Amino acid sequence: MTITIDNSTAPAVDEEHLLAALDHYWNQEWTDGLPVVPVTESYLAEFLAVVDRDPNEILFTITHLNRHMTVRLAAINAAMAGCKPEYFPVVIAAWEGIAKEPHPRRGIWQSTTGTAPFLVVNGPVREELEINSRGNIFGSGFRANATIGRAIRLGCINVFGLHPHKLDQATQGTPAKYTSVIGENEEQSPWPPLHTEFGYEATDNVVTTFVIRSVIHIEARHSMEPEQLALDFVDTICRTGALIHEYTSALLVLVPEHAELFANAGWSKDDLRNFVFEHATRRRSALAAVGKDALSHKSRWRLPAAHPDAMPDTASGTDDPDNVRLLSHPTSVQIMVAGANNAGVSAVVEVFTLNPPREIPCSTSKIGG
Amino acid sequence: MAMTELLLDPTGMEEGAQDSTLSPRPVSLKGLTIGLLDNTKPNATLLLEEIGRLLQRHYGAGESKLYTKDYFGTPAKDELLDRIADEVDFVITAVGDCGSCSAASVADGILLERRGIPTASITSDSFLPSGEAMARVMGFPGFDFYAVKHPVASLSSEEIKDRAQTALPELLRILGVEE
Repeated sequence: MTITIDNSTAPAVDEEHLLAALDHYWNQEWTDGLPVVPVTESYLAEFLAVVDRDPNEILFTITHLNRHMTVRLAAINAAMAGCKPEYFPVVIAAWEGIAKEPHPRRGIWQSTTGTAPFLVVNGPVREELEINSRGNIFGSGFRANATIGRAIRLGCINVFGLHPHKLDQATQGTPAKYTSVIGENEEQSPWPPLHTEFGYEATDNVVTTFVIRSVIHIEARHSMEPEQLALDFVDTICRTGALIHEYTSALLVLVPEHAELFANAGWSKDDLRNFVFEHATRRRSALAAVGKDALSHKSRWRLPAAHPDAMPDTASGTDDPDNVRLLSHPTSVQIMVAGANNAGVSAVVEVFTLNPPREIPCSTSKIGG
Repeated sequence: MAMTELLLDPTGMEEGAQDSTLSPRPVSLKGLTIGLLDNTKPNATLLLEEIGRLLQRHYGAGESKLYTKDYFGTPAKDELLDRIADEVDFVITAVGDCGSCSAASVADGILLERRGIPTASITSDSFLPSGEAMARVMGFPGFDFYAVKHPVASLSSEEIKDRAQTALPELLRILGVEE
Protein backbone atom coordinates (compact mmCIF):
# COMPACT_ATOMS: atom_id res chain seq x y z
CA MET A 1 0.00 0.00 0.00
CA THR A 2 1.26 3.46 -0.84
CA ILE A 3 0.46 6.50 1.28
CA THR A 4 0.54 9.78 -0.56
CA ILE A 5 1.15 12.90 1.50
CA ASP A 6 -0.21 16.11 0.07
CA ASN A 7 2.60 18.65 0.38
CA SER A 8 1.03 21.32 -1.81
CA THR A 9 0.01 23.48 1.15
CA ALA A 10 3.54 23.68 2.63
CA PRO A 11 5.07 27.15 2.24
CA ALA A 12 7.95 27.60 -0.19
CA VAL A 13 11.00 29.27 1.36
CA ASP A 14 14.23 30.77 0.15
CA GLU A 15 16.47 28.30 1.97
CA GLU A 16 19.65 30.32 1.48
CA HIS A 17 18.04 33.47 2.86
CA LEU A 18 16.54 31.58 5.79
CA LEU A 19 19.85 29.97 6.75
CA ALA A 20 21.65 33.28 6.44
CA ALA A 21 19.27 34.74 9.01
CA LEU A 22 19.78 31.81 11.40
CA ASP A 23 23.56 31.98 10.93
CA HIS A 24 23.48 35.65 11.85
CA TYR A 25 22.08 34.77 15.30
CA TRP A 26 24.60 31.98 15.81
CA ASN A 27 27.49 34.19 14.70
CA GLN A 28 26.42 36.94 17.10
CA GLU A 29 26.03 34.35 19.91
CA TRP A 30 22.42 35.46 20.36
CA THR A 31 21.09 31.96 21.02
CA ASP A 32 21.05 29.08 23.51
CA GLY A 33 22.59 26.89 20.82
CA LEU A 34 19.33 26.10 19.03
CA PRO A 35 18.03 28.02 16.01
CA VAL A 36 15.93 31.08 16.81
CA VAL A 37 13.05 32.75 14.99
CA PRO A 38 14.25 35.80 12.99
CA VAL A 39 12.64 38.94 14.40
CA THR A 40 12.04 42.19 12.56
CA GLU A 41 10.42 45.43 13.71
CA SER A 42 7.05 44.46 12.20
CA TYR A 43 7.01 41.03 13.88
CA LEU A 44 8.03 42.68 17.17
CA ALA A 45 5.01 44.99 16.82
CA GLU A 46 2.68 41.99 16.97
CA PHE A 47 4.05 41.14 20.45
CA LEU A 48 3.93 44.69 21.74
CA ALA A 49 0.32 44.96 20.50
CA VAL A 50 -0.97 42.29 22.90
CA VAL A 51 0.13 44.17 26.03
CA ASP A 52 -0.67 47.67 27.23
CA ARG A 53 2.87 48.45 28.31
CA ASP A 54 5.46 51.08 27.42
CA PRO A 55 8.15 49.28 25.38
CA ASN A 56 10.80 51.11 27.42
CA GLU A 57 9.35 50.06 30.77
CA ILE A 58 11.93 48.14 32.81
CA LEU A 59 10.79 44.72 34.05
CA PHE A 60 13.99 43.53 35.73
CA THR A 61 17.40 45.06 36.43
CA ILE A 62 20.68 43.49 37.48
CA THR A 63 22.16 46.63 38.96
CA HIS A 64 25.77 45.48 39.18
CA LEU A 65 25.72 44.57 35.48
CA ASN A 66 24.02 47.88 34.66
CA ARG A 67 21.65 45.95 32.37
CA HIS A 68 17.87 46.26 32.16
CA MET A 69 15.19 43.94 30.74
CA THR A 70 12.74 46.28 29.05
CA VAL A 71 9.35 45.29 27.63
CA ARG A 72 10.78 45.73 24.13
CA LEU A 73 13.80 43.50 24.78
CA ALA A 74 11.59 40.91 26.49
CA ALA A 75 9.41 40.88 23.37
CA ILE A 76 12.32 40.51 20.93
CA ASN A 77 13.70 37.57 22.90
CA ALA A 78 10.24 35.98 23.30
CA ALA A 79 9.71 36.18 19.55
CA MET A 80 13.17 34.70 18.92
CA ALA A 81 12.35 31.89 21.37
CA GLY A 82 9.37 30.90 19.24
CA CYS A 83 6.60 32.31 21.42
CA LYS A 84 3.30 33.25 19.83
CA PRO A 85 2.43 36.91 20.46
CA GLU A 86 -0.40 35.83 22.80
CA TYR A 87 2.16 34.17 25.12
CA PHE A 88 3.85 37.50 25.74
CA PRO A 89 1.79 38.52 28.84
CA VAL A 90 3.01 35.29 30.53
CA VAL A 91 6.62 36.16 29.66
CA ILE A 92 6.16 39.64 31.17
CA ALA A 93 4.70 38.16 34.36
CA ALA A 94 7.64 35.74 34.50
CA TRP A 95 10.17 38.60 34.35
CA GLU A 96 8.21 40.43 37.04
CA GLY A 97 8.36 37.30 39.20
CA ILE A 98 12.10 36.92 38.61
CA ALA A 99 12.53 40.57 39.63
CA LYS A 100 10.91 39.75 43.00
CA GLU A 101 13.22 36.80 43.66
CA PRO A 102 16.22 37.75 45.84
CA HIS A 103 18.96 35.76 44.11
CA PRO A 104 18.75 36.64 40.40
CA ARG A 105 19.40 40.34 40.99
CA ARG A 106 22.36 39.45 43.22
CA GLY A 107 24.21 37.54 40.53
CA ILE A 108 23.14 33.94 41.14
CA TRP A 109 23.12 33.25 37.39
CA GLN A 110 26.82 34.07 37.20
CA SER A 111 27.43 31.54 39.95
CA THR A 112 29.00 28.08 39.88
CA THR A 113 25.78 26.80 41.52
CA GLY A 114 24.15 26.70 38.09
CA THR A 115 20.53 27.33 39.02
CA ALA A 116 17.64 27.96 36.62
CA PRO A 117 14.36 29.87 36.73
CA PHE A 118 11.35 27.55 37.07
CA LEU A 119 7.85 28.82 36.33
CA VAL A 120 4.46 27.43 37.38
CA VAL A 121 1.37 28.73 35.58
CA ASN A 122 -2.09 28.67 37.17
CA GLY A 123 -5.51 29.80 35.98
CA PRO A 124 -7.62 29.61 32.80
CA VAL A 125 -4.70 30.87 30.69
CA ARG A 126 -3.30 27.30 30.77
CA GLU A 127 -6.19 26.12 28.59
CA GLU A 128 -6.24 29.23 26.40
CA LEU A 129 -2.53 28.97 25.54
CA GLU A 130 -2.35 25.16 25.73
CA ILE A 131 0.26 25.17 28.50
CA ASN A 132 0.87 21.52 29.34
CA SER A 133 0.02 20.44 32.89
CA ARG A 134 -0.51 16.70 32.32
CA GLY A 135 1.73 14.09 30.71
CA ASN A 136 5.46 14.76 30.21
CA ILE A 137 5.41 18.09 32.07
CA PHE A 138 9.20 18.16 32.46
CA GLY A 139 9.71 16.89 28.91
CA SER A 140 9.46 18.37 25.45
CA GLY A 141 6.67 18.76 22.94
CA PHE A 142 4.53 21.74 23.94
CA ARG A 143 5.08 25.06 22.23
CA ALA A 144 3.86 27.28 25.08
CA ASN A 145 5.89 25.51 27.79
CA ALA A 146 8.97 25.23 25.58
CA THR A 147 9.05 28.78 24.28
CA ILE A 148 7.92 30.77 27.33
CA GLY A 149 10.76 29.27 29.36
CA ARG A 150 13.16 29.75 26.48
CA ALA A 151 12.18 33.42 26.24
CA ILE A 152 13.62 33.84 29.74
CA ARG A 153 16.83 31.95 28.87
CA LEU A 154 17.44 33.99 25.71
CA GLY A 155 16.81 37.18 27.70
CA CYS A 156 19.41 36.10 30.27
CA ILE A 157 21.95 35.37 27.55
CA ASN A 158 21.32 38.37 25.33
CA VAL A 159 20.28 41.18 27.64
CA PHE A 160 22.29 40.30 30.75
CA GLY A 161 25.25 38.78 28.91
CA LEU A 162 24.93 35.49 30.82
CA HIS A 163 26.78 33.40 28.25
CA PRO A 164 28.07 30.05 29.52
CA HIS A 165 31.88 29.91 29.98
CA LYS A 166 31.81 33.71 30.24
CA LEU A 167 29.60 35.62 32.67
CA ASP A 168 27.66 32.41 33.44
CA GLN A 169 30.20 30.31 35.36
CA ALA A 170 27.86 27.39 36.18
CA THR A 171 30.03 24.40 37.01
CA GLN A 172 27.51 21.98 35.51
CA GLY A 173 24.19 23.82 35.21
CA THR A 174 20.91 21.98 34.65
CA PRO A 175 18.81 20.96 31.63
CA ALA A 176 16.16 23.30 33.09
CA LYS A 177 18.28 26.18 31.79
CA TYR A 178 16.90 25.57 28.29
CA THR A 179 13.33 26.03 29.49
CA SER A 180 11.25 25.02 32.49
CA VAL A 181 7.61 25.98 32.59
CA ILE A 182 4.78 23.77 33.84
CA GLY A 183 1.07 24.32 34.35
CA GLU A 184 -0.69 23.00 37.42
CA ASN A 185 -3.10 20.14 36.69
CA GLU A 186 -5.85 21.95 38.59
CA GLU A 187 -8.60 19.85 37.02
CA GLN A 188 -7.23 16.59 38.45
CA SER A 189 -6.15 17.94 41.83
CA PRO A 190 -8.17 17.27 44.98
CA TRP A 191 -6.78 20.45 46.54
CA PRO A 192 -7.09 24.20 45.88
CA PRO A 193 -4.57 25.34 43.22
CA LEU A 194 -1.16 26.74 44.20
CA HIS A 195 -1.88 30.41 43.42
CA THR A 196 -4.92 30.55 45.73
CA GLU A 197 -2.56 29.91 48.67
CA PHE A 198 -0.99 33.30 47.92
CA GLY A 199 -4.28 35.21 47.98
CA TYR A 200 -5.26 35.02 44.32
CA GLU A 201 -8.69 33.95 43.04
CA ALA A 202 -8.85 30.58 41.30
CA THR A 203 -9.89 32.43 38.12
CA ASP A 204 -6.78 34.66 38.20
CA ASN A 205 -3.93 33.82 35.84
CA VAL A 206 -0.71 33.72 37.84
CA VAL A 207 2.96 32.83 37.32
CA THR A 208 4.80 31.48 40.36
CA THR A 209 8.58 31.82 40.02
CA PHE A 210 11.19 29.62 41.67
CA VAL A 211 14.97 29.43 41.34
CA ILE A 212 15.86 25.74 41.23
CA ARG A 213 18.74 23.27 41.28
CA SER A 214 17.34 19.85 40.31
CA VAL A 215 14.17 17.93 39.54
CA ILE A 216 14.22 14.47 41.15
CA HIS A 217 11.65 11.76 40.59
CA ILE A 218 9.90 9.81 43.33
CA GLU A 219 8.92 6.30 42.24
CA ALA A 220 6.05 5.17 44.44
CA ARG A 221 3.63 3.21 42.29
CA HIS A 222 2.44 0.84 44.98
CA SER A 223 2.12 3.09 48.03
CA MET A 224 -1.16 2.85 49.87
CA GLU A 225 -0.39 4.62 53.16
CA PRO A 226 -0.09 8.42 53.21
CA GLU A 227 2.69 8.24 55.83
CA GLN A 228 4.77 5.89 53.65
CA LEU A 229 4.37 8.10 50.63
CA ALA A 230 5.17 11.27 52.59
CA LEU A 231 8.33 9.64 53.99
CA ASP A 232 9.43 8.81 50.45
CA PHE A 233 9.34 12.54 49.68
CA VAL A 234 11.10 13.35 52.95
CA ASP A 235 13.99 11.03 52.10
CA THR A 236 14.67 12.88 48.86
CA ILE A 237 14.28 16.32 50.42
CA CYS A 238 16.87 15.32 53.06
CA ARG A 239 19.48 13.88 50.68
CA THR A 240 22.85 15.17 51.86
CA GLY A 241 24.12 15.96 48.36
CA ALA A 242 21.59 18.76 48.08
CA LEU A 243 22.72 20.51 51.25
CA ILE A 244 24.61 23.70 50.62
CA HIS A 245 23.05 26.00 53.24
CA GLU A 246 21.90 25.07 56.74
CA TYR A 247 18.36 24.44 55.50
CA THR A 248 16.80 23.40 52.22
CA SER A 249 13.52 24.12 50.38
CA ALA A 250 11.43 22.08 47.98
CA LEU A 251 8.49 22.17 45.60
CA LEU A 252 6.59 18.88 45.62
CA VAL A 253 5.06 18.21 42.22
CA LEU A 254 2.54 15.48 42.97
CA VAL A 255 0.80 13.48 40.29
CA PRO A 256 -2.98 13.23 40.64
CA GLU A 257 -2.74 9.64 41.93
CA HIS A 258 -0.46 10.62 44.81
CA ALA A 259 -2.49 13.74 45.65
CA GLU A 260 -5.66 11.59 45.71
CA LEU A 261 -4.01 9.13 48.08
CA PHE A 262 -3.36 11.92 50.56
CA ALA A 263 -6.74 13.60 50.05
CA ASN A 264 -8.64 10.33 50.43
CA ALA A 265 -6.90 9.79 53.76
CA GLY A 266 -8.13 13.23 54.81
CA TRP A 267 -4.82 15.06 54.41
CA SER A 268 -4.90 18.70 53.32
CA LYS A 269 -1.85 20.33 51.72
CA ASP A 270 -0.98 21.77 55.14
CA ASP A 271 -1.19 18.32 56.73
CA LEU A 272 1.34 17.04 54.19
CA ARG A 273 3.53 20.14 54.59
CA ASN A 274 3.59 19.81 58.38
CA PHE A 275 4.31 16.08 58.24
CA VAL A 276 7.24 16.68 55.90
CA PHE A 277 8.51 19.53 58.08
CA GLU A 278 8.45 17.39 61.23
CA HIS A 279 10.18 14.44 59.59
CA ALA A 280 12.76 16.35 57.52
CA THR A 281 15.65 15.75 59.91
CA ARG A 282 18.95 13.89 59.79
CA ARG A 283 20.99 12.42 62.62
CA ARG A 284 24.11 14.48 63.24
CA SER A 285 26.21 11.34 62.67
CA ALA A 286 24.75 11.05 59.13
CA LEU A 287 25.73 14.65 58.40
CA ALA A 288 29.17 14.12 59.96
CA ALA A 289 29.66 11.09 57.71
CA VAL A 290 29.46 13.36 54.65
CA GLY A 291 31.28 16.31 56.23
CA LYS A 292 28.26 18.58 56.56
CA ASP A 293 27.71 18.68 60.33
CA ALA A 294 28.69 22.33 60.88
CA LEU A 295 28.37 25.74 59.23
CA SER A 296 30.95 28.16 57.87
CA HIS A 297 31.00 31.28 60.03
CA LYS A 298 31.70 33.23 56.83
CA SER A 299 29.17 31.90 54.31
CA ARG A 300 26.93 29.77 56.57
CA TRP A 301 27.39 26.92 54.09
CA ARG A 302 27.53 23.41 55.53
CA LEU A 303 31.02 21.99 56.03
CA PRO A 304 32.84 19.50 58.31
CA ALA A 305 33.10 20.36 62.01
CA ALA A 306 36.90 20.03 61.67
CA HIS A 307 37.12 22.81 59.05
CA PRO A 308 38.91 25.97 60.32
CA ASP A 309 35.86 28.11 59.38
CA ALA A 310 33.40 25.81 61.18
CA MET A 311 30.86 26.96 63.73
CA PRO A 312 27.98 24.93 65.25
CA ASP A 313 24.64 24.80 63.41
CA THR A 314 21.35 25.88 64.99
CA ALA A 315 20.40 22.35 66.07
CA SER A 316 23.57 22.14 68.18
CA GLY A 317 22.12 24.69 70.55
CA THR A 318 18.83 22.84 71.12
CA ASP A 319 17.76 20.15 73.62
CA ASP A 320 18.15 17.53 70.90
CA PRO A 321 21.46 18.43 69.18
CA ASP A 322 21.78 15.07 67.40
CA ASN A 323 18.53 15.55 65.52
CA VAL A 324 19.23 18.17 62.84
CA ARG A 325 16.26 19.86 61.15
CA LEU A 326 16.79 20.49 57.44
CA LEU A 327 13.75 22.71 56.89
CA SER A 328 13.40 26.05 58.68
CA HIS A 329 9.64 26.49 58.12
CA PRO A 330 6.75 24.26 57.03
CA THR A 331 6.27 26.71 54.14
CA SER A 332 9.75 25.80 52.86
CA VAL A 333 7.74 22.98 51.28
CA GLN A 334 5.40 24.13 48.50
CA ILE A 335 2.94 21.64 47.01
CA MET A 336 1.24 21.45 43.62
CA VAL A 337 -0.26 18.83 41.31
CA ALA A 338 0.97 18.19 37.77
CA GLY A 339 1.55 15.26 35.48
CA ALA A 340 -0.62 12.56 33.97
CA ASN A 341 -3.07 10.55 36.04
CA ASN A 342 -1.52 7.27 34.94
CA ALA A 343 1.13 6.25 37.49
CA GLY A 344 2.56 6.97 40.93
CA VAL A 345 5.57 8.98 39.76
CA SER A 346 5.96 12.41 41.34
CA ALA A 347 8.89 14.80 41.68
CA VAL A 348 10.76 16.91 44.20
CA VAL A 349 11.99 20.16 42.71
CA GLU A 350 14.95 21.40 44.76
CA VAL A 351 14.51 25.11 45.30
CA PHE A 352 17.51 27.39 45.78
CA THR A 353 16.82 30.11 48.30
CA LEU A 354 17.88 31.33 51.73
CA ASN A 355 15.68 30.37 54.66
CA PRO A 356 15.79 32.04 57.06
CA PRO A 357 14.98 34.78 56.32
CA ARG A 358 12.64 33.64 53.49
CA GLU A 359 9.61 31.71 54.67
CA ILE A 360 8.06 31.33 51.20
CA PRO A 361 10.62 30.13 48.63
CA CYS A 362 8.96 31.65 45.54
CA SER A 363 7.45 34.81 44.08
CA THR A 364 4.15 35.37 42.28
CA SER A 365 2.94 37.77 39.62
CA LYS A 366 -0.45 38.11 37.98
CA ILE A 367 -0.57 37.72 34.21
CA GLY A 368 -1.86 40.84 32.48
CA GLY A 369 -1.87 42.87 35.65
CA MET B 1 10.07 39.33 -3.98
CA ALA B 2 8.55 40.32 -0.67
CA MET B 3 9.85 43.38 1.12
CA THR B 4 12.71 42.63 3.50
CA GLU B 5 13.45 44.11 6.92
CA LEU B 6 16.56 44.13 9.08
CA LEU B 7 16.85 41.69 11.97
CA LEU B 8 16.71 43.29 15.42
CA ASP B 9 19.45 43.27 18.06
CA PRO B 10 18.10 41.41 21.13
CA THR B 11 20.74 42.67 23.59
CA GLY B 12 20.08 46.37 24.07
CA MET B 13 23.87 46.65 24.29
CA GLU B 14 23.99 49.44 21.72
CA GLU B 15 22.47 51.68 24.39
CA GLY B 16 25.38 51.11 26.79
CA ALA B 17 28.14 53.70 26.73
CA GLN B 18 31.76 52.62 26.53
CA ASP B 19 34.30 54.13 28.87
CA SER B 20 37.61 52.35 28.79
CA THR B 21 39.86 55.08 30.14
CA LEU B 22 42.31 54.06 32.84
CA SER B 23 43.17 56.41 35.68
CA PRO B 24 46.63 58.05 35.47
CA ARG B 25 49.35 55.48 36.34
CA PRO B 26 51.60 56.21 39.31
CA VAL B 27 55.01 55.25 37.76
CA SER B 28 56.45 54.82 41.30
CA LEU B 29 54.76 53.54 44.48
CA LYS B 30 57.11 55.41 46.85
CA GLY B 31 55.12 56.75 49.79
CA LEU B 32 51.75 55.96 48.20
CA THR B 33 48.92 54.65 50.39
CA ILE B 34 47.86 51.12 49.48
CA GLY B 35 44.17 50.15 49.49
CA LEU B 36 43.48 46.44 49.97
CA LEU B 37 39.89 45.51 49.10
CA ASP B 38 38.96 42.15 50.63
CA ASN B 39 35.86 40.40 49.24
CA THR B 40 35.76 38.00 52.26
CA LYS B 41 36.57 34.88 50.24
CA PRO B 42 38.88 32.40 52.04
CA ASN B 43 42.53 33.51 51.98
CA ALA B 44 41.75 36.91 50.41
CA THR B 45 43.00 38.80 53.49
CA LEU B 46 46.18 36.74 53.68
CA LEU B 47 46.96 37.21 49.98
CA LEU B 48 46.28 40.96 50.04
CA GLU B 49 48.30 41.60 53.20
CA GLU B 50 51.26 39.65 51.81
CA ILE B 51 51.13 41.67 48.57
CA GLY B 52 50.93 44.86 50.65
CA ARG B 53 54.06 43.82 52.62
CA LEU B 54 56.00 43.07 49.43
CA LEU B 55 55.06 46.44 47.91
CA GLN B 56 56.22 48.21 51.06
CA ARG B 57 59.44 46.23 51.40
CA HIS B 58 60.59 46.29 47.77
CA TYR B 59 58.88 49.32 46.22
CA GLY B 60 58.71 51.80 49.09
CA ALA B 61 54.91 51.93 49.24
CA GLY B 62 53.43 53.72 52.27
CA GLU B 63 50.86 52.48 54.77
CA SER B 64 48.16 50.03 53.74
CA LYS B 65 44.46 50.17 54.57
CA LEU B 66 42.27 47.07 54.49
CA TYR B 67 38.63 47.37 53.38
CA THR B 68 36.05 44.59 53.48
CA LYS B 69 33.06 44.14 51.14
CA ASP B 70 29.77 43.18 52.75
CA TYR B 71 28.82 40.75 49.94
CA PHE B 72 31.30 39.10 47.59
CA GLY B 73 28.85 38.44 44.73
CA THR B 74 28.24 42.03 43.65
CA PRO B 75 30.52 45.06 43.30
CA ALA B 76 31.31 47.11 46.39
CA LYS B 77 28.75 49.76 47.31
CA ASP B 78 29.25 53.32 46.08
CA GLU B 79 29.87 54.64 49.61
CA LEU B 80 32.72 52.17 50.15
CA LEU B 81 34.25 52.86 46.72
CA ASP B 82 34.02 56.62 47.35
CA ARG B 83 35.70 56.22 50.74
CA ILE B 84 38.49 54.11 49.27
CA ALA B 85 39.02 56.62 46.45
CA ASP B 86 39.25 59.34 49.08
CA GLU B 87 41.71 57.57 51.38
CA VAL B 88 44.23 55.69 49.22
CA ASP B 89 46.38 56.18 46.13
CA PHE B 90 46.00 52.77 44.49
CA VAL B 91 44.13 49.54 45.15
CA ILE B 92 44.60 45.77 44.99
CA THR B 93 41.33 43.80 45.16
CA ALA B 94 40.97 40.04 45.72
CA VAL B 95 40.02 37.34 45.31
CA GLY B 96 37.54 36.42 42.63
CA ASP B 97 37.40 32.65 43.00
CA CYS B 98 33.72 32.00 42.16
CA GLY B 99 31.33 32.81 39.32
CA SER B 100 29.78 35.95 40.69
CA CYS B 101 32.66 37.21 42.85
CA SER B 102 35.27 37.04 40.07
CA ALA B 103 33.12 39.27 37.90
CA ALA B 104 32.44 41.51 40.90
CA SER B 105 36.17 41.92 41.63
CA VAL B 106 36.76 43.01 38.03
CA ALA B 107 33.80 45.40 38.31
CA ASP B 108 35.31 46.86 41.50
CA GLY B 109 38.52 47.51 39.57
CA ILE B 110 36.68 49.28 36.75
CA LEU B 111 34.58 51.35 39.16
CA LEU B 112 37.72 52.44 41.05
CA GLU B 113 39.56 53.27 37.81
CA ARG B 114 36.60 55.49 36.89
CA ARG B 115 37.07 57.22 40.27
CA GLY B 116 40.69 57.93 39.29
CA ILE B 117 42.29 55.18 41.38
CA PRO B 118 44.75 52.76 39.69
CA THR B 119 43.53 49.28 40.57
CA ALA B 120 44.74 45.73 40.07
CA SER B 121 41.94 43.17 40.43
CA ILE B 122 42.81 39.58 41.21
CA THR B 123 40.63 36.63 40.18
CA SER B 124 41.54 32.97 40.02
CA ASP B 125 42.52 31.75 36.55
CA SER B 126 39.47 29.42 36.48
CA PHE B 127 37.34 32.54 36.23
CA LEU B 128 39.33 34.57 33.72
CA PRO B 129 36.49 34.44 31.13
CA SER B 130 33.96 35.59 33.73
CA GLY B 131 36.07 38.64 34.52
CA GLU B 132 36.56 39.38 30.83
CA ALA B 133 32.81 39.10 30.19
CA MET B 134 32.11 41.44 33.11
CA ALA B 135 34.52 44.02 31.66
CA ARG B 136 32.60 43.92 28.34
CA VAL B 137 29.24 44.28 30.11
CA MET B 138 30.68 47.24 32.05
CA GLY B 139 31.68 48.95 28.79
CA PHE B 140 35.41 48.34 29.38
CA PRO B 141 36.38 45.47 27.06
CA GLY B 142 39.99 44.41 27.52
CA PHE B 143 40.26 45.72 31.08
CA ASP B 144 43.49 44.27 32.45
CA PHE B 145 43.42 42.21 35.65
CA TYR B 146 45.50 39.44 37.19
CA ALA B 147 44.43 35.80 37.17
CA VAL B 148 46.09 33.95 40.05
CA LYS B 149 46.54 30.20 39.71
CA HIS B 150 43.53 28.22 40.98
CA PRO B 151 42.94 27.23 43.79
CA VAL B 152 43.31 29.90 46.45
CA ALA B 153 40.79 28.98 49.13
CA SER B 154 42.46 25.70 50.11
CA LEU B 155 46.10 26.92 50.26
CA SER B 156 48.33 27.15 53.36
CA SER B 157 49.80 30.51 54.35
CA GLU B 158 53.19 29.49 52.86
CA GLU B 159 51.52 28.68 49.55
CA ILE B 160 49.68 32.02 49.64
CA LYS B 161 53.05 33.80 50.03
CA ASP B 162 54.25 32.04 46.88
CA ARG B 163 51.14 33.15 45.01
CA ALA B 164 51.76 36.75 46.14
CA GLN B 165 55.39 36.62 45.02
CA THR B 166 54.38 35.26 41.61
CA ALA B 167 51.68 37.89 41.22
CA LEU B 168 53.91 40.86 41.95
CA PRO B 169 55.42 41.59 38.48
CA GLU B 170 51.98 41.37 36.84
CA LEU B 171 50.36 43.62 39.44
CA LEU B 172 53.14 46.19 38.95
CA ARG B 173 52.67 46.05 35.18
CA ILE B 174 48.88 46.58 35.54
CA LEU B 175 49.48 49.53 37.87
CA GLY B 176 51.98 51.04 35.43
CA VAL B 177 54.86 50.99 37.92
CA GLU B 178 58.25 51.53 36.28
CA GLU B 179 60.61 51.66 39.25
